[in-house]
Amino acid sequence: MNSRRAVGSLFASPWILTFLIFWLFPLLYSLYLGFTDYRLLRPSFHWVGFQNFAALFSDSAFTEALKNTFYFVLGTIPVTTIVALLVALLVEKQFAGRTIFRSGYFMPSITSMVVIALIFTNLYSRGGYIHILAQILGLGPPENGFLLSNKTALMAIMAMDIWMSVGYYMLLFLAGLKSIPEELYEAAVVAGAGRTRQFFSITLPLLKPVALFIVVINTIKSFQIFTEIFVMTGGKSGTSTAVYFIYETGLSRFEFGYASAAAYILFLIIAVFSLAQFGLFQQRSLQ
Amino acid sequence: MKIIKYLILSSILIVMIFPLLWMFRVSFSPGDLGMDLISLFSTGFTLKSYLDIFGSGQMAVYLLNSILVGIVVTLGNILFCFMVGYAFSRYRFIGQKFWFYSVIFVLMIPAHIIIIPLYLIVYKAGIYDTYWALILPFLVNPIGIFLVKQYIDGLPSSMEEAARIDGAGELTIIARVVMPLCKPALAVLAIQSFMTNWNSFIFPFILTSSESVRTLPVGLALYQGHQAIDWPHLMAGSTLAVVPILIVFLFFQRQIVSGVTAGAIKQ
Repeated sequence: MNSRRAVGSLFASPWILTFLIFWLFPLLYSLYLGFTDYRLLRPSFHWVGFQNFAALFSDSAFTEALKNTFYFVLGTIPVTTIVALLVALLVEKQFAGRTIFRSGYFMPSITSMVVIALIFTNLYSRGGYIHILAQILGLGPPENGFLLSNKTALMAIMAMDIWMSVGYYMLLFLAGLKSIPEELYEAAVVAGAGRTRQFFSITLPLLKPVALFIVVINTIKSFQIFTEIFVMTGGKSGTSTAVYFIYETGLSRFEFGYASAAAYILFLIIAVFSLAQFGLFQQRSLQ
Repeated sequence: MKIIKYLILSSILIVMIFPLLWMFRVSFSPGDLGMDLISLFSTGFTLKSYLDIFGSGQMAVYLLNSILVGIVVTLGNILFCFMVGYAFSRYRFIGQKFWFYSVIFVLMIPAHIIIIPLYLIVYKAGIYDTYWALILPFLVNPIGIFLVKQYIDGLPSSMEEAARIDGAGELTIIARVVMPLCKPALAVLAIQSFMTNWNSFIFPFILTSSESVRTLPVGLALYQGHQAIDWPHLMAGSTLAVVPILIVFLFFQRQIVSGVTAGAIKQ
């Protein structure tokens, strides 16, 4: 049976190599770098202890980026989740044209983030359709467009992100709705429960696992927001985020040590949510 | 009641697809559109932006790079994720549990936090700014492994046993028995890895610098900096980035949906 063991390891080796070279090593390497003053063109670098971490928390560019990231996460996730649920309920039951609506709503989710960011850069700019619409509605949008003003830039990007991801989470909610046994509703009807009562006593409680899953994966994803910031504002107008900060210090100013320390702080924050996801995962596989 | 429902559904539909229709429309316009909705219709149509792109522009290079990298990575994912998923499902080997947990671990950690060390590794390995940098780190992906393993776990092993008793070798069993049975899972995997790779931005962006190996999303994102934004050309390039995905979507809706929901719902 030894040869079967060898074959098993051989077949698994592409992953083992990828994991070691492109995941485990980078993770340990950047932990190490976080404690050094390594930067480009410096021939030697030194262990500096927690100096980078201490410096980060008094670096207003970093705290600002972290604050924006939290703002983004807390602002988008509740809205995305609730809107996705409402839309899922709207297109759940069979009706003429259902597929068209479902597909149409899902379309932004499979479109390239860069492309969407470019489109909205135009729509949000002065004279762009969203800017004009806001003027017609008397909302008093910033004169030079939404993305050049500190007051509106981050909010505008958040709105775009909600628009983009609603369809994706709608699909997850639809799968959750489908997994609720029809008999439960039939029993509820027999017991004399109305539509509202059915929704709050059956649908909502049974959707809790899916909703939890959605919130966790969306949180992990949103903490890493980068592309839309890079394309739409370049981190200006008060829209810098944690990953944007890591990119800018690490790969534009080449302060590898300092950027690695920042990356680890973000990693620790997200780890809480990753652990929650792992908990959910284990719960499911135990069922 | 019914009319109200359709009214709501259609309004949402317009909000969801208007930006994409706008992109499509601008890509055919000779210049920037006016500020009113009427100009959506009154502005002329021309293929100039597309002809420019295919004639001389860098955009054609980006497009070809995206296609090349997308195909190689997708084929790699099909082959390697199948191999690894099969090993996890049907073999017992040393450290198996540990390696499987490493798959789950990578699935859950935020990929963007390793951009600095990945850049340094790729740089020191001498593959920075080459196709290798866009391909090697992405040839196996944890979602694909997970998908295949779950699928093979659900298959009865009796057919493999029967083939083994008939004297079939390991590779014959894999090629003739297991792989054909896995087709549905591999289709989901192929579509998902192609779409993810096609739309990917941050990794191709940080791992390359010259235009000759740039992929389409990176090219589009950096196009802005070149000059005052030329929207018809930019939107023609964007349309080229979106159309393949839409075609895949039209033909493989079922696979895409099951790929999206695979992790969320216990089947």
